[in-house]
Amino acid sequence: MKLRRVRPGAIFSAFSAAVCVGIIASGCSSSTSAGAASGTASNPVTLTFWGTYGNGGNKAQTGALNQTIIPAFEKLHPGIKINYVDVPYDSLLQKLETGAAGGTLPDLVRSDITWVPKFASLGVFAQLDGVMSNFQTLAKADYPGTLATAAWHGHYYGLPLDTNTRVLISNMRALSAARISSPPATFAQLQSDATALAAKKIPVFADSGLQAWNILPWIWSGGGNITNPQLTSADGYLNGPKSVAAVQMLVNLYKKGAIPNLITGNTGAVSTQDGLPKATYADILDGPWMHDIWAGQYASFKPVYSPMPTGPGGSVSVVGGEDIVMTASSKYQAADEEFIAFTQSATYQLAMAKTGQMSVVASLGAQEAAQVPYLAPYIAQLKTAKARPAVPEAPQIDTALQDDLTPAFTGKMSVQAALNKAAKDIDPLLTAAK
Amino acid sequence: MLTSTDRPRNDAASAVTGVRPASSGRTRRRRSATPYLFLAPGFALFLALIIYPMVRAFQMSFYDWNIVAGASSKFIGWANYVQAYHDPIFWRSLINSGVYMAMTVPPQIILGLLVATGLRAKAPGRALYRVLFYLPVVTSWVVVSLLFRYLFADVGLVNYVLHGLNLTNGSTSWLGGRWTAMVAVSALGVWKGVGWSMVIFLAALQGVPRELEEAAAVDGAGRWRRFTTVTLHSIWPSVVFVTVMLVIGGFNVFTSVLLMTGGGPADQTQVLLTYMYKQAFSYLDFGYGSAIAVLLTLLVFVLSVIQLRIFRQPRIAGTAS
Repeated sequence: MKLRRVRPGAIFSAFSAAVCVGIIASGCSSSTSAGAASGTASNPVTLTFWGTYGNGGNKAQTGALNQTIIPAFEKLHPGIKINYVDVPYDSLLQKLETGAAGGTLPDLVRSDITWVPKFASLGVFAQLDGVMSNFQTLAKADYPGTLATAAWHGHYYGLPLDTNTRVLISNMRALSAARISSPPATFAQLQSDATALAAKKIPVFADSGLQAWNILPWIWSGGGNITNPQLTSADGYLNGPKSVAAVQMLVNLYKKGAIPNLITGNTGAVSTQDGLPKATYADILDGPWMHDIWAGQYASFKPVYSPMPTGPGGSVSVVGGEDIVMTASSKYQAADEEFIAFTQSATYQLAMAKTGQMSVVASLGAQEAAQVPYLAPYIAQLKTAKARPAVPEAPQIDTALQDDLTPAFTGKMSVQAALNKAAKDIDPLLTAAK
Repeated sequence: MLTSTDRPRNDAASAVTGVRPASSGRTRRRRSATPYLFLAPGFALFLALIIYPMVRAFQMSFYDWNIVAGASSKFIGWANYVQAYHDPIFWRSLINSGVYMAMTVPPQIILGLLVATGLRAKAPGRALYRVLFYLPVVTSWVVVSLLFRYLFADVGLVNYVLHGLNLTNGSTSWLGGRWTAMVAVSALGVWKGVGWSMVIFLAALQGVPRELEEAAAVDGAGRWRRFTTVTLHSIWPSVVFVTVMLVIGGFNVFTSVLLMTGGGPADQTQVLLTYMYKQAFSYLDFGYGSAIAVLLTLLVFVLSVIQLRIFRQPRIAGTAS
């Protein structure tokens, strides 16, 4: 009787303890892949590739990857298998962080361009230039602004995988209400359109923030800049006269009601995604993904795409997209390099372009536009588009821009003072990055 | 507990019967180890999943923490705490957390008590109303946060109703300013939390002796007097429990702020947990994020101790009388 009371508990305890130890041990251990750096047809190596192609249930992109692109690569490289793991976009950064902390990173990652410098600085992503024999050849084929997103501290830690930029998208119904026949092509036209649209109470332009992605097209097109080319100082650039003038133009429009407070972070304002097709707003800046979103939600809406309005500095937009990176912990780096090189091929780039992922290879632009016509304005814009400062502290720079510029829009601070403060806040972040 | 109460009884039994105890020394050792073996799995999990992360976070708060496995991190002493001291957004987050707590705890207690008192009486549909009031508690924070974001949108239902009642011009940007956004987030907190308070109070009210209330009534006490001197006095431990838990919960507000305002506009509605999350997972500054977490833990601990001390006094006084 007494033994019966004791033994089950003891056994259960011992078993539980063993399970606990096992869980803890498995959590602490890093995954190590056995095997050679490259495989053979009979004994292939498997590369794990994390990406976000299926974000939002996009089966077209995961389908193209799994059914066309990966089989084509594996046919060319019988010793390498690709295990693509789709991760929701909102989860990937956290997954990378926990993977880095737990030593459970994959071999390859389709990384958002803004994450590359941070993970490069931490030693999570491997340097590619000087390691991949054909790196320079591949890099030269890419758009310059797109390639800059993979750079950190004089080296490249990835190659662009897909790219995008922002162009002006207009609702002609809204513009027509004010008897405007075409989207604004210049800063001056934007301001005159704002006056015409004011009578109809339609904001001429809307955007969802004041971060680098939002504000830099205006500053660059206005002839200003956020930092010096070496990315070491914002003072004298972000608060320079041309940057101030560009932001001042937006502030003036905001104060007239021609830009809604969505731009200062009001999450309760009508989103650009809904506001443009409903003619609540006349123009927005956005990427190529909106085409498919509107096709599903607002089938009757016919967006009109045109270049970023030209200012004193030209028509300059901002680069977005993803880079393909190899993790420093990968055991199969030679095989990784083969796949990275394959991602730059016409096979990969054009197959993904058909699904809406823009090619990073400039010479493929014409073929890309031929197969997906709505991408043509984006392809043209990419020729002059620039990368945001590729530094590890990029998220903090975004916060500084949003927080410091908001008082200029709400009238609590002059534009010059706001940009002075932003430059003062950003400079230490650039210094810390070095 | 088991061994200390069992042993004298066995000894006494053996003394009466004159029979030598069957248990040997080895068995006694086994039996005395039994409770510890039962406790071991839970304790191991507690150590692994609660204590270890807390100790680790405390350790990280003194480092410029490198998240990469096996990488060395630089010890920087109190630098992360000094950074918090000089960080205006940290202080704003702390104030916002306090404001949220102050705006949500009293309404949850008062409304929870009111609803529980109302639903205590036998009435048709009582069970249905109990379920309806408790329903928000079990709904997803994500879902209701998004729902409230739409309700408080510029063209949302709240503006529509207020305009219809001629209380506003219907153009309030609730989520576009610090204090209006805090009102919106707090409204969600109260709506979602009343049901939880109600359930606790409802359970406590079941234990209030009817004869005491009847005696107070016979003595001429009115409804309000009976409630304050008999009912409230009887459920005081539950009131203390609910208050302490709600204050802790108030300072731990996270999901609703993250989804309704994202801490914006311009970091104006950051609370401690959203700011900690931003530092850790957006900036990868786990050292500073951990320091904020430690400070929050200390704050909540101190507040809880203070509350328990304050609330203990009336109960003792009541008991003595």
